[in-house]
Amino acid sequence: MTELRLRVDWPLCSGRGVCHELLPEVVELDDWGYPVVRGPVPEALTDAARVAVRWCPRLALRLVP
Amino acid sequence: MITDGLLVETGPALLATVDDGPGLVAHRRRLGPRRTASAAEVLAAAEAVGLRGRGGAAFPFAIKLRTVLEGSRRPVVVVNLSEGEPLSAKDHALALVAPHLVLDGALGVAHAIGAAQVHLALPGERPGVRRSMFAALAERHDAGKVRCHIASPRFVAGQERAVIELIAGRENLPVTTWRPAATSGVRGRPTLLSNAETWAQLGLLLQGGVEAYRQLGTDSEPGTTLLTVTASGQPRLVRETAYGVPFGTAVPELVAPGRAGLVLLGGFHGTWVSRKRLARTALSVDRLRQIGAALGAGVVHLPPAGQCPVRRSAEIVALLAGESAGRCGPCRFGLPALGAAIGRLAAGTADATEVARLAALVTGRGACAHPDGTVRLVRSLLGEAEEEVRDHALGRCSYGTLGVPPVRGLAGRRAAS
Repeated sequence: MTELRLRVDWPLCSGRGVCHELLPEVVELDDWGYPVVRGPVPEALTDAARVAVRWCPRLALRLVP
Repeated sequence: MITDGLLVETGPALLATVDDGPGLVAHRRRLGPRRTASAAEVLAAAEAVGLRGRGGAAFPFAIKLRTVLEGSRRPVVVVNLSEGEPLSAKDHALALVAPHLVLDGALGVAHAIGAAQVHLALPGERPGVRRSMFAALAERHDAGKVRCHIASPRFVAGQERAVIELIAGRENLPVTTWRPAATSGVRGRPTLLSNAETWAQLGLLLQGGVEAYRQLGTDSEPGTTLLTVTASGQPRLVRETAYGVPFGTAVPELVAPGRAGLVLLGGFHGTWVSRKRLARTALSVDRLRQIGAALGAGVVHLPPAGQCPVRRSAEIVALLAGESAGRCGPCRFGLPALGAAIGRLAAGTADATEVARLAALVTGRGACAHPDGTVRLVRSLLGEAEEEVRDHALGRCSYGTLGVPPVRGLAGRRAAS
């Protein structure tokens, strides 16, 4: 299975921080509240990552190989 | 010759016709009628000379072309003349002195790959380019598929995705890409987008053939490249040089007295390099990468001897922060923060810790390479001017110019130059 990564659509993202709330293991927040994605999504967290993608209020998150 | 405020020197290949003027008759007299080639022939020629994109990233043209040819829909050709880097003037010069060479390349390749359209992105802040390209198009009978677009006068408007947005009729700003333009660009079509110099190189390659093209340069990097040499108080100079020549020979201005120890290579998104080390290095994409520098869009900026590179960098970062489109959070907030941090370093009131932290924080987080280009400049300062940076952290400046530098916008700078 290929490693999945979270990618942010930066012009869409407004730093609501929901991704960090749902997936703090992978997504941290920077000084201004925008996501900092730390590496690929571990397999055990794939489902949680999908939830984060679905719940992004700006639809600015994607899970890509 | 001096044209539109630029000093354009006669060169060995692309700029050989500077004195002939930009007209079609003189161009055809020298290079003959436009040759037609098949897509396979263009691909083979681009591979045989290892042609790389001249917009800054030096991406192999053949790889881009191959990707475009794999697409199922009819491709689109884009000539990017918008040259967002304010210090660069090579595409500007080509449009003025050799517009038909650029068009021969773009139209020749467009014909070879069966392109549906050819788009020209023209710079909003350089009206001379627009006038010259319009005049050249009016002279030709093979330009029916050409559509012109005027880019916004801002740094990020020349970025690949911003140009594709412009052509699609949307705001001329970068957007997120999920697939490369060569796969899905203008209205989802495979898009072959390159800057004017790349197309002019292709024009030369198609008209003259591989053998003639390989006469100049080295075996691994054949041909020539365009440089913009800038020094404060002098008009920007555009020069064509064969690859492989030492920088000190190609740009004798580097070894002239009265220059600062560091040179800004590649422009505002480029890298600081020691002037002496650069003079000894061969003009080669690969050699420059080995010393941690990059030719970028070919700018060689020579600051005056008395100028502090820390202060100058702070000015440039402040200017680049003002050029952010403001759509991606990390760039919108990160670049002004980075500008403030490097301003404090220039003022001698802080060390470089915060500069380095913010540089790492904004890298790779945006729709375009604007934050990454800005960070490249900052990192090269921390590396190449290590001693000066350390002195500033201790409240000392060997140029005697401690203090927060004034912030100047690009608009003002452009008006002044």
